[in-house]
Amino acid sequence: MSLLWLRVAVLLYGIAALAVLPAALYNRPRWRHLAVPIALGGTFFHFVSIAETFYAAHRALPVGTHETLSLLGLLLAIAFLLLAARYRTMAFGIFLLPVTVLLTLVPAFRAGKETIAYPLAGPVWIFLHVALLLAAYAALLISLLASVLYFVQERSLKSKSSPSSASSKLKLPPLETIDQIALKSLLLGLPCMTAGLLIGSVVALETVGPAFFADPKVLLSLAMWMAYMLMIFIRQHSGLRGRRAVYLSSFAFVFVLAVWAANQLSAVHRFTAP
Amino acid sequence: MTPLHKPWGTLMLVGVNHTTAPIEVRERLAISAARLADATRTLAHQPGIREAMILSTCNRVEFLIDRDVSPDAQHEIQHDLILPRFVHEYFAVAPASLAPHLYEFREREAIRHLFRVASSLDSMVVGEPQILGQVKQSWNVAREVGAISSSDALKSTLDPLLQRAFSVAKRVRSETRIGSTSVSIASVAVDLARKIFGSLTGKTVLIVGAGKMSDLAARHLIQQGAKTLLVSNRTEARAEAIAAALRTPAITTGVIPFAQLHTEAHRADIVITSTGAGQIVTPAQARDILHRRRNRPMFFIDIAVPRDVDPAVNKVEGCFVYDIDDLQQLAAQNQASRGKEAEAAETIVSSEVDRYHQRRSSAPAVETIKQLQLSAESLRQQELARTAARLSAEPFTPSQQAAVDALTRSLTAKLLHPQLTALREAPSEPETTE
Repeated sequence: MSLLWLRVAVLLYGIAALAVLPAALYNRPRWRHLAVPIALGGTFFHFVSIAETFYAAHRALPVGTHETLSLLGLLLAIAFLLLAARYRTMAFGIFLLPVTVLLTLVPAFRAGKETIAYPLAGPVWIFLHVALLLAAYAALLISLLASVLYFVQERSLKSKSSPSSASSKLKLPPLETIDQIALKSLLLGLPCMTAGLLIGSVVALETVGPAFFADPKVLLSLAMWMAYMLMIFIRQHSGLRGRRAVYLSSFAFVFVLAVWAANQLSAVHRFTAP
Repeated sequence: MTPLHKPWGTLMLVGVNHTTAPIEVRERLAISAARLADATRTLAHQPGIREAMILSTCNRVEFLIDRDVSPDAQHEIQHDLILPRFVHEYFAVAPASLAPHLYEFREREAIRHLFRVASSLDSMVVGEPQILGQVKQSWNVAREVGAISSSDALKSTLDPLLQRAFSVAKRVRSETRIGSTSVSIASVAVDLARKIFGSLTGKTVLIVGAGKMSDLAARHLIQQGAKTLLVSNRTEARAEAIAAALRTPAITTGVIPFAQLHTEAHRADIVITSTGAGQIVTPAQARDILHRRRNRPMFFIDIAVPRDVDPAVNKVEGCFVYDIDDLQQLAAQNQASRGKEAEAAETIVSSEVDRYHQRRSSAPAVETIKQLQLSAESLRQQELARTAARLSAEPFTPSQQAAVDALTRSLTAKLLHPQLTALREAPSEPETTE
């Protein structure tokens, strides 16, 4: 049954991803009024699907790549809805909704076989570790998107393009608002990432011991945290915006991808087929 | 005012606007807000007028009336002269001097004109939003003085027409983008500032030099929430005078000595330059200013000729430079875009005029049909009561009563059918136009 709800969610996300295009690209309010409720419906069914899966398995943790991706997709859909409500912008949906569709498509149509063996520490702590890190990844992705949109809006204003040109038609929030979104998402992601890594480290120390810190994924995670800190420091200190902010965000995002890929190398985090 | 009548061919609209009359003529007819109630009341009390409304703006003065065409009033009144006579008497203007500038619309064309005016398709700046509020204001005044009936007892012609005009205007606003772009240089500059800063609340504007255009742009930005206004001029006394002229209790003003312009300019989010003294801001200076602002964006509105801001400053990350040509070009493009939207709006107006006119022209037939049916039913009941007594001394049983009812109803319906069909299919009366 949970797969059915997830498929419904994917379908709704897909429709919302299409409806958001005329809303953002041509500033058509009718499409906006269509995209947001549909995305909200998708989020609801997605949540029901995850809750039902966890309830049926008597656990509160994602145990495989598919479930983790699905959870990340849910966080991104929620982020889109929050941005649409707070800043009245559909532009983030152009990227966030298709990414959400991609993240949930495979889990919805192909059952995950690999699983991850969690240590025996309290499941609440492990859940917090996973959820906080996924929230930090989502925040970083939004910050990267905001930097790209800032760059697009800046180019459009500098090129003095006519109102009928493609870049002018794209309905983007003002530069200062995009900048605020980028910075706020980073500032929100920082405590999530810090707390997520700290919880993971404490649990690892209790269960595996100091050897855990020799794991490539753990090392990359620490490097990612430092890159994250560095990015916030540079942005706050020098007011970095535009093209250079895109480079910096991309640099930090590469670390996230590297950490994700490190699951294949990690002895502790590896997703393995049972 | 006269009570309900059959409202066919009673609408009339006479007026002057910016395309038909020069300002000298319009100002003689202009009615201030304070005098509008009196003028509307006076017009509504003219013989031959059932309802009236006056719309007076800086670009138009229009009189919309619903004429009384009841048989009592008909023979005494020359309808064509109602409005010219009123204008002559109320404004003391010779009819002959006005005649070349006046336009007159009746019925369908009057409806079309009103819908176009309310939708801002007849405005000097097509799509400007003020006109709808002005029409609503005139409507309110007319209702207040009783020139337009708002009660059910006295069926109004103008009230539903105006309410429809407001709906049409709303539809035009929501279904087209006619009012979504700015067409004046100052409002284009404000729009650009909004694209950079979002809300302008609390922003600082710096005016460099003096000029009417920079003054206007600054006022627009202040209206949008800019909180601090700085002025810099080669002549400090002149800068003080400009700051004093723009000072209000809500905003803070200050003067920056011209020599300190580059070291103090970082305090401003928006810089309006109009010295015409050549390049006072170069890319290197812009980088320095931006560095002092920790790279927060800065908007330069250069309305000087020759330009005050080096065009290369636009290439500095975080600096946005728009000169007078850029602003004019954007305003012209927006104007052209409004023209395209206006075509779509005209289609909406046409369909709404058709629909409203159709409903209005069928109203008399509907009323006649209703009266004919009522009269036939009354006759049927009378005849039934009379005949029933002759047919039987005892009252009819329910089944007998039902059979007689069905018979008489059927007969009445068949007898009326050709007349009702003819009424329903009767062509609308030919309308009178301009």
